[in-house]
Parts: sequence; structure tokens; C-alpha cells
Amino acid sequence: MSLAMQQPDHDAHPFSVAARQFILLVGKDLKIEARGRQTIGLVTVLGLLIVVVLGLGLGGGTAGGFGATAVLWVAYLFSGVLCFEKTMAVERSESALAALMLTPVGRGTIYLAKLTSNLALIATVALVITPAGVLFFSFDLSPAPFAFAAVMTLGIIGFAAIGTLFAAVVSSTRLQGGLLAMMIFPVTLPLVIASTQLLLDRFVKGLPIGVNGLGILVAFDAIFLTASWLMFELVLEP
Amino acid sequence: MAVRAENLVKTLDERPVLNQIDLSIAAGEYVVILGINGAGKTTLLKILSTLMPPTSGGLQLFGLSVPKQAARARARLGMIGHQSMLYRDLTARENLELFARLYGVQSPRQRAEELLATVGMIDRADDAVKTFSRGMSQRVSIARALVHEPDLVLADEPFAGLDVPGSAAVERLLEDLHIAGKTIVMVNHDVGQSLRLAQRVVVLSGGMVAIDQPARITDAPAILAELGGAEMRYEPESFAVC
Repeated sequence: MSLAMQQPDHDAHPFSVAARQFILLVGKDLKIEARGRQTIGLVTVLGLLIVVVLGLGLGGGTAGGFGATAVLWVAYLFSGVLCFEKTMAVERSESALAALMLTPVGRGTIYLAKLTSNLALIATVALVITPAGVLFFSFDLSPAPFAFAAVMTLGIIGFAAIGTLFAAVVSSTRLQGGLLAMMIFPVTLPLVIASTQLLLDRFVKGLPIGVNGLGILVAFDAIFLTASWLMFELVLEP
Repeated sequence: MAVRAENLVKTLDERPVLNQIDLSIAAGEYVVILGINGAGKTTLLKILSTLMPPTSGGLQLFGLSVPKQAARARARLGMIGHQSMLYRDLTARENLELFARLYGVQSPRQRAEELLATVGMIDRADDAVKTFSRGMSQRVSIARALVHEPDLVLADEPFAGLDVPGSAAVERLLEDLHIAGKTIVMVNHDVGQSLRLAQRVVVLSGGMVAIDQPARITDAPAILAELGGAEMRYEPESFAVC
């Protein structure tokens, strides 16, 4: 049996090591998703169904901007929860997470990599759901398309930050199926309310979205990201 | 000394799982841990792997204090579980290269190739792990555990679910590791097989060490008597505790 010694690279700077590990983990997640396309297909269909069902219930184009932003958020939230569950299930399957936790990869790096993978998936889904919702509700984005994109992007980042943390918590318990949504939704409610209010002000009342408005969302994101990054080490169990 | 555990106590849901465990394992030793279900074997192995903190007590791996120096200790241990601890949708080669890169191993591609050849899986290197039989997955899992050249190999029921050829292949791989000077700590259910493979037998009962002695002076009936109440399955060359 060949057991030639393989020296680990001890000389590299810790930041560059963490960055390399981060890229490896995100690449691994995206490669697994690209190969199976299990999450993206399922989540996109779910998002579209939510938009259509709620759109029909609310009267489609007559619901206007209020209906569109509310329904899009509902679609993002439920699609996102499914994303978080699926990407964490990859780690739980065959106890791969235990092997990962035995490597020198920091828990913070694992969190940031998982968050990035989740954001990539949600962004892909949002690229399909959002145009569908806009068309279904005849929602005129032309007055401020970039403001809409900025508010939704900031909202989704905060939501994914919390979702990635809670997915790790829930995946280590036997109480899955629905528990994740019950944990995430109340915590992200302030973020959802703030972003919906900003969009209503802009698209229904015609008020501009100021720096202060976006600042609130940035503050939420910063708090959620920092708290989740710090807590991830405490909640991650093999 | 590879492992030095002193007064290890682990309580789960206010139920004591391990109680005052003292265990010292020299570098290069092949130790098997036996016990009935619920005796605390897997919990002990998880604590030794640094994946689970003890409720109280001290643990040193190669002189490194855990959890304080856990990161450095982890670099010197590899773990084989009864699950493969691999990503099912990645190929055997991709799994090994990923873990080699995460450990910072130089020439990860070459290392993966070398290990796949060692465990006899080079022909299936580019197949997804989910297409493997249990025995094949276990061989790749052993390769994964060795990718960073650990000094201590922890194996939690590595023969579980394997057929006779698969079990024999894993036995040989572990024996080769032992000959190469690795320290092996294995949890097993098969008393006869354990006595044949290991140098030392530790029997846990009720979360405590009931027997700790060299395998050559230990006989299966003594162990089975200590495990009183366990159902015994007798096979020509092995006793299994169910």
C-alpha cells in the first residue's frame, strides 16, 4: 500500500486558504446542483405556481403593485425555504457534513459558501419568477427598475443569511418538514415589511426610495449576516 | 501517545452515556471498542474525533489538547463511518480531490489517483458515488479518510452492511494501515473478527470501561459474559454481538 507523505500547504496566508476553501465549497454545491438540477427545477415550479395561484386569487392585473410585491415575496420566501432545505440535505446525506467538519475548513467559511450557493440558486429562481409576476400583475416597473432590483436583492440577501443558519439548525433535528419555514418567517418579517413598504412607497404612492430606505435594508442584512456567521459554529452539528 | 482521555463524561438529554472513561492509546496501536447497542461506543468515537465535545473530562490527541487545539488535532486524524461520508452526486475522484484540496494536500489529483488505486477503485474513479455498492462506497470512504495522511484512523463499524468479500477487502486495508504504523481505533460488533484483527480490546458496558486488555489474552466467552444479556450470533470464526 502506497502511503507516500503528502505535505499540506502550511505556508499560505490564512485568508487565501479560506478563500480557496470557499471557492471549492461553492463550486462543489453548484456542480452537484448542475448535475442533478433537483433543487432549481423544483423550486422554480413552486415559485411559478405560487405566483399563478395567488395571482388568480387576487385578481391578476387588478391587484397592481401591492399585489405583485406581496405575491413575489411569498414566492421568494417559500422557494427560498425549499432551497435552504435541499442544499443542506446534500451535506446530511451519507454524513458528508461530518467529513467536511473534520477538515481544516472554518465553520464561518462553510457558512459563507453555503450562503453563496443558496443566493446563486435563489437568484436564478428569481430571474424566472420575477418577470412572471410582473407580467401576471401588469406591474409597471419602468418608473424605477433599478430601485426594485436593489430592494429585492437586499431583501433576499438578508433572508438567505437567516435561512442558511436555520437550515443548519433544523437539519440536525428530527423535526424537519415545515419547521424551517416556521423559524425563518417570523425572523425575516421585519425585512419583508421594510422592503414591501419601500416598494409600495415608490410604485403606488410615487415617493422616491431614499438612501435611508435602502440603509434600513442594508442594516438588516449586516445584522443578519454577522449574527448568522457568528452563530453558525454553535449550531452546526455533524 | 496517540490518545489520552481522562475522566471523560458525556451526558445526552440528562442521561449519562459515558461515565469516567480513562483511555490511553499508544501510537501505532490497533484498538477495537466493543459493546452492546447503547454502550457508548459511537459517542466515544465522536468525542475522539473532536466532532462532539465531552460534558467533562480531558482529551489529548498526539499531545494536542482538545477542544483548544482541535483544529490541529483534526489534521492528524481520519474517520471512517458506517455511512460513506461522501457526496453522492460527485464521482469518487471528485470526492477525493475535493477533500485533498480542502486539507491543502499538494498534488491532490495525483493523491486521489494513488488512493483510488490503493483501494481498488481506479476503474470506477469517474462514476458517481451514488452508483456504488455499499462495499465500493466504503472503500472510497477509506480513501477519503486517508487523503491527508492521518496518523490516527477512527473507524465506526466499518464492516456494517458489507458482504464477505467487501468485509475482507476493508479488513485488509485496515491491516495495511496498521502495518504502515497508523493508530487505529475501531468500533465493531463482531467479537471474533475484533480479536483476530486488533492488538487490544476495550469493552464498554453502561458507559464505562469493563474490559481493557490485549486481544491475545482475551477470549470471546469472557467478553460475551461481560456483555451479559446481549444476544450472541455464532459463526465458525466469529462471534457477533447483536
